[in-house]
Amino acid sequence: MKVSILIKTIVFYAALACVFLGSCTKGKTNYEAERGEVIEENNEFKEVSNVVNSAYTVSIEALNGVLYRGYNDIRVRIKNTQTNTPAEVSGLTFLPVRTTVMGEKNSCPNQYDFDYKSEDKYFSGYTVFTSESGTEGSWALHINFTVGNQTFSLIKEVQVKQQSNKNLNMTMFTGVDEEQYVIALIAPQKPNVAENKLVAGIYKLNRMLDSSGKGPAGQLQLSYSQVERYTLKLDPRMPEPSMGNHSSPNNKDLIQDKDGLYHGVVNYTMTGNWTLNFILLNPEGKVIRGTEVPKDFTPGVEGRKSELHLDILF
Amino acid sequence: MKKLSLVLFIISLGLDVNGQIVPVKRDTTRRLGEVKVDATIKRKIENDMKMAVSVDEFLASSDNISFIKRGAYAWEPLLNNMSTERSTITIDGMHIFGACTDKMDPITSYVESNNLSSIDIKSGQEGNMHGATVAGSIDLKRRSTPFGLPQKIGGAYQTGFEFNNKQTFNLGSLFYSTDNFVADGSIAFRKAGNYYDGNNKEVLHSQYNKLNASLGLAYKTSPLSAVRVDAIFDRAKDVGFPALPMDLWLSRAIITSASYKQLFEQGLVKVWDTKVYFNAVEHYMDDTTRPENLVHMDMPGWSTTYGLVSKINLKKDRYSSEVQLNVYDNLSIAEMRMYPQDRSKQTMFAYSWPWVTTRFASVATNNSWEISERSKVNLGGSLGWNYNYSKYVEFNWIFHPGAPQKKNRWLPGLHASYELNLNQFDISLGTGFGHRAPSVSEAYGYYIYNSFDRYDYIGNPDLKNEISYEANASVGFKTEKLSIAAKVNYFYINNYIIGRILSLGSPMNYQSVGVKGYTSLNKATLFNAAVNVGYKILDNLHWKAMFTYARGKDDEGGNLPFIRPLSYQTSLHYGYKRLGLRTSLNGDFAQTNYSPMYGEDLTGAYKIWNLSADYTFSLGKFKSVFQLGAENLLNEYYSTYADWGNIPRMGRNIFTSLKVNF
Repeated sequence: MKVSILIKTIVFYAALACVFLGSCTKGKTNYEAERGEVIEENNEFKEVSNVVNSAYTVSIEALNGVLYRGYNDIRVRIKNTQTNTPAEVSGLTFLPVRTTVMGEKNSCPNQYDFDYKSEDKYFSGYTVFTSESGTEGSWALHINFTVGNQTFSLIKEVQVKQQSNKNLNMTMFTGVDEEQYVIALIAPQKPNVAENKLVAGIYKLNRMLDSSGKGPAGQLQLSYSQVERYTLKLDPRMPEPSMGNHSSPNNKDLIQDKDGLYHGVVNYTMTGNWTLNFILLNPEGKVIRGTEVPKDFTPGVEGRKSELHLDILF
Repeated sequence: MKKLSLVLFIISLGLDVNGQIVPVKRDTTRRLGEVKVDATIKRKIENDMKMAVSVDEFLASSDNISFIKRGAYAWEPLLNNMSTERSTITIDGMHIFGACTDKMDPITSYVESNNLSSIDIKSGQEGNMHGATVAGSIDLKRRSTPFGLPQKIGGAYQTGFEFNNKQTFNLGSLFYSTDNFVADGSIAFRKAGNYYDGNNKEVLHSQYNKLNASLGLAYKTSPLSAVRVDAIFDRAKDVGFPALPMDLWLSRAIITSASYKQLFEQGLVKVWDTKVYFNAVEHYMDDTTRPENLVHMDMPGWSTTYGLVSKINLKKDRYSSEVQLNVYDNLSIAEMRMYPQDRSKQTMFAYSWPWVTTRFASVATNNSWEISERSKVNLGGSLGWNYNYSKYVEFNWIFHPGAPQKKNRWLPGLHASYELNLNQFDISLGTGFGHRAPSVSEAYGYYIYNSFDRYDYIGNPDLKNEISYEANASVGFKTEKLSIAAKVNYFYINNYIIGRILSLGSPMNYQSVGVKGYTSLNKATLFNAAVNVGYKILDNLHWKAMFTYARGKDDEGGNLPFIRPLSYQTSLHYGYKRLGLRTSLNGDFAQTNYSPMYGEDLTGAYKIWNLSADYTFSLGKFKSVFQLGAENLLNEYYSTYADWGNIPRMGRNIFTSLKVNF
């Protein structure tokens, strides 16, 4: 009698043990996969659009094959239509032009003379589209290239879409010097809970060209220029009330590097909503735009943002 | 997974059947499991007052153990006034690591008093057999039934009720013993509601609910060898932690091992005992019962350990020695996920333990020579290797840019002691030196909220080894009626690891007031003293008393936190025929040497008076004991120096218990 009780007990424990060994109660977070859901990382250049004529095929490429509002790396490949081999092109200029419904034309921060990458035989440059294509205006790319001593021109209308990845956000504003600025985030495309190298492009609308920009398209190329030797002070914080104005340590302000872009370091201590609070200083150290935000920990209160900031999410 | 479970289930069924049909041969040449070469004092799981104690209550009666209490359950044992990172806590030599970053699941919470036979506490470097330590070691010895008991089947059942927190408990154990097969099992249920403090006020969120079961099967493979498999399953559910902003929803542990023991009748080597083990702990917090919380947060944790312990005992004439090899691999993972008020928004996620692997291997030895009838020398040492790997090291880089992802450490330890017996006096002198590696939290922890000082703690992978130099001495005097023993020890610790306020960063947990980083103090010192007195007033009237004193200082002469103030326990036991009466008084003096820097404030003195009576009788043919008693009879309102958040302790508690042995 007692032995059978004993055996029942043993079986009971063994069953318990088996059930336990079989599974954890709650699954562990698949950290890599989870971040993939929030941000789609685009690493691959795909064709956005192309122009084919009897002599040459011009293919315009961008990451994921889409042009977004904000910073875009752009590649242009030119082939002989007949032979389907890369053409010997000696130079290429690239100019996006936005035409509003009123008929006004303007451009955006942009690399006008593209660089030739001889190894992979394409032209490379960038454009910061300042608005999306829509009912208020449309974008067209004005491309000129030279083969031998012959120059070819083409105009191609393209769609500029909304950037869904907030880590590549941009902002336009007028500084205290009455100049118009554009700040566009370039990297990281997919941040980590880690030290992240933060890269941004900072551009200024050149005053000699009125914003109405009625001049010929040839001068629109000069509408923006990269600002030199500025400083972009950084204070990243989580705006969520429950996070109480949480910030991170060891961040570095963005300063200009040899590539003309502004480089700094941002640390994200956890995933979620973050605000990059900025203060833009000119080379003399004068504040162009941006305000200091409170540094104290205030649980339950939504974090105050600088008047110059970008919201990101990952 | 389900398939695997099923297969395992069938295998286990098979095992049971095998267990049953093992041919019962009469073989009484030797009883295995009775061999005890090491001369450590094993303590029975019972304290002066109560026969149905929890593991925590039992440990509390030891003079070098104190506790940090976050509620009524899962107290963190402090050995020599040092926190659990500084001691090694093992179950039969097996390393197990809690899965809670807030240390709400010390190893002692995964066992139950009815599956333990004794607890082996060693102070300082003497405890380095199981791994590198500073404070010492606590080894929980699992109960194991010897082969060939005269009584083939037996067991015990114990039940009870405690009135203050309406705790009911049912503890049962069974054994089956033949000459070459043994099975023993135990099961324990405890369920308690909220307790009431000395002002008769309910302490919310202090309930708990625990199930613990264990099973051991042993088979004698030859007259001098045996194999044994053991498993402990523990589940705690709905455990309140009044001192914390959240409770425990569920924690589960499975602790398994398979061992082989070989005895030798001749030669230097007497016993060789080898064990492989596996244990897994999961721990899930719950804050949904705390509406005051601004943020809903999930904090799951997992800890998985594989290991090997192999030990030989040597003895020749007046020399005896133990050599032990320890190897383990642990993976600790803890996550935090915060939910914004608008639940549709993106959650916020981080690892508080970013998948930290710890691998450890050590060889340790302890040797003793009886120089003469009266004196003995002990010499021991260990050399350990500790390896850490942080999978998501980018979390650690936020505060410590460029810290290495992998880290190797060598951990030497040495100790020596001399014991002398002069008539009625026992004297011992000892010294030791040892390193320990930082714990997972100390090295790789990330925003671990400590609700005692209300800081978020950040680990530092580059912390140096903590190096301890210790000296200890004891004097004992014994006559037929009187026994007095005094013990002191002194630790001088270099690179003492402790949290210091960081000027960097800001808190993540909304209750927190700032960020602390684990740093090394240049040095810290700790002094512990204890005096034990026993006196036989009459043959059946015994008096015992114990005093402890401790002092801890940091490198600037400031106080270290969690150092017990002057404390005392005194008890009187009277036995008359089948009746036993006990009364005891215990308390602490005011904690004047507190440390405001680490969140402590002045804790006042308290004294607790307890009373109990037990009666032994026969229930049919079974020997039974009934006990009735009261703790904190005067219903004193108090909290101790180590009570997290100064939560009041339990007020008057009347307890009853019935134990039947069969």
